[in-house]
Amino acid sequence: VDRTTPHETEAEGLIFYHMDLYGSKDRFDIFPEELSGQGDRSRGDTRRESALSSEKFQRSQEAGYDLEREVAELAKMYGLDEDREKELELLGGHLEMVESRWPPAHREKQQGLPGEASQDEDQSKAIAEDETESHIWSREGLSSSVMSDEWNSQAVSEEEEAANVFCSTCKMPIRAFDKLFGEHKDHEVAQLPSAVESEKEEIHKNMCKLEEQIAQMENFASHLEEIFITVEENFGRQEQNFEVHYNDAVQVLAQKYEEQLEALGEEKRQKLEALYGQLVHCGEHLDTCKELTDATQELYLENDKASFMKVKSFNWLEEFLKKEVDLKLSTLPDFEERVIDFSEVEQLMNSINTIPAPCAPVINPQAPNAATGTSLRVCWGLFSDDTVECYQLCYKPVSNETRNGEQAAPSPPTIKSKKIRSCENAALVCWESRDINPVDSYMVELSKLTDEENGNIITESIVGIPNCEVLIHLQPMQTYRICVRALNLGGSSERSEPVLIHTTGTYFCLNEDTAHPLLAILDDGFTIACDELENPECDLPVYDNSFTRCIGILGSLIPFPGKHYWEVEAEEDTEYRIGVAFENTPRHGYLGANNSSWCMRHIITPSRHKYEFLHSGMTPDIRITIPPRRIGILLDYENCRLSFFNAEIAQHLYTFTLHFQHYVHPCFALETPGILQIHTGIAIPPWTALP
Amino acid sequence: AELKCKMKFGIYLPPKAETGKCPVLYWLSGLTCTEQNFITKAGFHQAAAEHGLIVVAPDTSPRGCNIEGEDESWDFGTGAGFYVDATEDPWKTNYRMYSYIKDELPKLINANFPTDPERMSIFGHSMGGHGALILALKNPGKYKSVSAFAPICNPMQCQWGKKALGGYLGSDVSKWEAYDATQLVKSYPDSHLDILIDQGKDDQFLSAGQLLPDNFIAACTEQKIPVVFRLQQGYDHSYFFIATFINDHIKHHAKYLNA
Repeated sequence: VDRTTPHETEAEGLIFYHMDLYGSKDRFDIFPEELSGQGDRSRGDTRRESALSSEKFQRSQEAGYDLEREVAELAKMYGLDEDREKELELLGGHLEMVESRWPPAHREKQQGLPGEASQDEDQSKAIAEDETESHIWSREGLSSSVMSDEWNSQAVSEEEEAANVFCSTCKMPIRAFDKLFGEHKDHEVAQLPSAVESEKEEIHKNMCKLEEQIAQMENFASHLEEIFITVEENFGRQEQNFEVHYNDAVQVLAQKYEEQLEALGEEKRQKLEALYGQLVHCGEHLDTCKELTDATQELYLENDKASFMKVKSFNWLEEFLKKEVDLKLSTLPDFEERVIDFSEVEQLMNSINTIPAPCAPVINPQAPNAATGTSLRVCWGLFSDDTVECYQLCYKPVSNETRNGEQAAPSPPTIKSKKIRSCENAALVCWESRDINPVDSYMVELSKLTDEENGNIITESIVGIPNCEVLIHLQPMQTYRICVRALNLGGSSERSEPVLIHTTGTYFCLNEDTAHPLLAILDDGFTIACDELENPECDLPVYDNSFTRCIGILGSLIPFPGKHYWEVEAEEDTEYRIGVAFENTPRHGYLGANNSSWCMRHIITPSRHKYEFLHSGMTPDIRITIPPRRIGILLDYENCRLSFFNAEIAQHLYTFTLHFQHYVHPCFALETPGILQIHTGIAIPPWTALP
Repeated sequence: AELKCKMKFGIYLPPKAETGKCPVLYWLSGLTCTEQNFITKAGFHQAAAEHGLIVVAPDTSPRGCNIEGEDESWDFGTGAGFYVDATEDPWKTNYRMYSYIKDELPKLINANFPTDPERMSIFGHSMGGHGALILALKNPGKYKSVSAFAPICNPMQCQWGKKALGGYLGSDVSKWEAYDATQLVKSYPDSHLDILIDQGKDDQFLSAGQLLPDNFIAACTEQKIPVVFRLQQGYDHSYFFIATFINDHIKHHAKYLNA
């Protein structure tokens, strides 16, 4: 029945083929392999050809039709071959044999089939090929290997004419009929289309895997390239390293050789000189001896006995003979034993494989805030790419005395305690130094006062301050003791007189330079007064920076974001303007009349107290039933607001909502004779949180 | 029970009310309004959520009581309860808005919602502003703070007030004083009640002499009752006016309710 497998093309396949397929599991197992064998390969070729030829056609319907036909023809050719074989098979005597072995039910089924088989087959074949063809269209771009993979699965379904169920146990398509009666009876099956789908999914997954692998390999390749470059670089460096070191070693060796040779020559010369000297001496001695012999002989032959005896030459002859003749060799012919010192070379040789010594690091100049009373932060950098295992830090204390000869240490500066400005989170401290000695920098020491006994412990130092001013970040609601030292090459000065700073609320001072000539600042520094609005004498001193029209003054608020709160006390009948202004607000104008100041103005009209909240000369129309005697002013940079309160009853009066481009300063002005008392260092009341 | 009819109210619960008890801020609406106007038009929700305030907006009068003449005019009867306890027939049975706002409604709210009964404030608009002021001034300490948009400050002196007070309380003018903010201020004990009032400068009822804030301010100045009165240029009596300054009022109340 199932005559479409490639087995048919083989001679053995004709014999008991059906039985094998349905009866023997062994045969069945090798089935897929054989599929991809000979018969399939040829088919793959034709398939590829068709795929190639299909590329030649345009994707028009006509072309599609041509292709279809071509594929159909191919299929028919193939199918015919099979058919012929099938017919052989059917006509041969095997059928009876086969039939006789089949159970009756099967036989019935089979008997019905042979007549229609070939026709049906052709039709289904054409359909199958159509599917294949549509497949080619969709997968044209894929590589041929993938295509042949596809083909394998395709081939199975194609050849199983009428097969419409997929047996997942045996991994092959079967007919539904087989599920009911065949050996697949108990197997798990799925509908063919869904099986194909799952198979395609599988293939897609595999492709994804392949793509992944490709990506991995590409990554790996680029990694290899990187390593390749690194290896070249490293080895290049090492070669250079070797060259330098071996050159060094050779040089050292050559030097040693020279030295040794020289020493040897010197020794030789000395020895030869010594020997020569001895030889000369020996000759002289010989001459003397000969002379003596001659003289003695003469004497001996002297006949005059008296004169003979007179000559005392016997004495000196005896004396001469008494002298020992030095026959010892002054020097030995062999040379001194010399130890050739290779230790240096050895060291050089050993150092070749080690990493070269790093260049000297460079110590950074001391940064502000880098030291406390007991510690110092030292930073350094390394310019080359040397490998460093560790650093060795050397230091020694430099006492003042040793440097005194060069430069004297400065005398302590004086903190301008009246100019200190602070808020809850910072303080701005400034000082002056009346020293004739040059000062390189200043150091601020601050200690947080918790208990009395801890007062002298320096908790923090700020060093390297070039100017006579520093902004210190502090914690709120604390008291700090602050001192300053001046430093130069001669050392540091004694501490300045300490000042205390409370970080409760905001402290500011009045900027006397800005005060209108008619405005007086009382001794406490925070009360401003005005006695008369017009001065008959016009010789009052006017500073460049002072208000000329408005009897006002600016405060000096710490330039620090966050919240600042202060209060102003005024008599009920005092007319005033209070608020904030930029430092450069026009001095010839009124506060609140321009766009660089914001203020609350109190004026008394015949009917009532009038309150204005002025900016650029504009005010909202607001009536306040209780004239505030103590006005709270909250400057809140964070929430972009400036609020005014009646501080006595926590009543919100008005809020400017604005975004300050610069830091502002408090401003105060009197419009009638009177007094304004300014209160600073007040903790921000909780009721100011909401207007 | 006070009004002997079915009453509606609007309530807003802030996210904070899911986890804890919140203060309640009562809103009293103006003439012709229902509980709907404020909750749909004022746009108070964001500020109330931020400060964790429950906002309750009751109706402005009893409804459906079938009292003769209750629907005859817009400034008397339905939608114009004037936050008084009526003493005259036929109103005295149902028109007891003062007691309803003062006792019954808070009791109901506190029993059914996660409120802190100790912390409540009140504000309102126009007739509701009048209601807020008299409730705060008649009950020192009951409300932590009070504020009003264009309130009817001195009803005894204006047409609306004369009609309503006369209708509900009878012709004895001395009885009216108990529901007149400007009169009440004069007998208000020295207490820290911070009053915020916003008034549109272009409010037609201001120029018509219905609101009379100057009388109230003068009385407060005399009695040293702290008031910040803001005359807002270019605003009329509408809900646009309310929506513009509602955040300031919510903050004003939050300051005292969350202190």
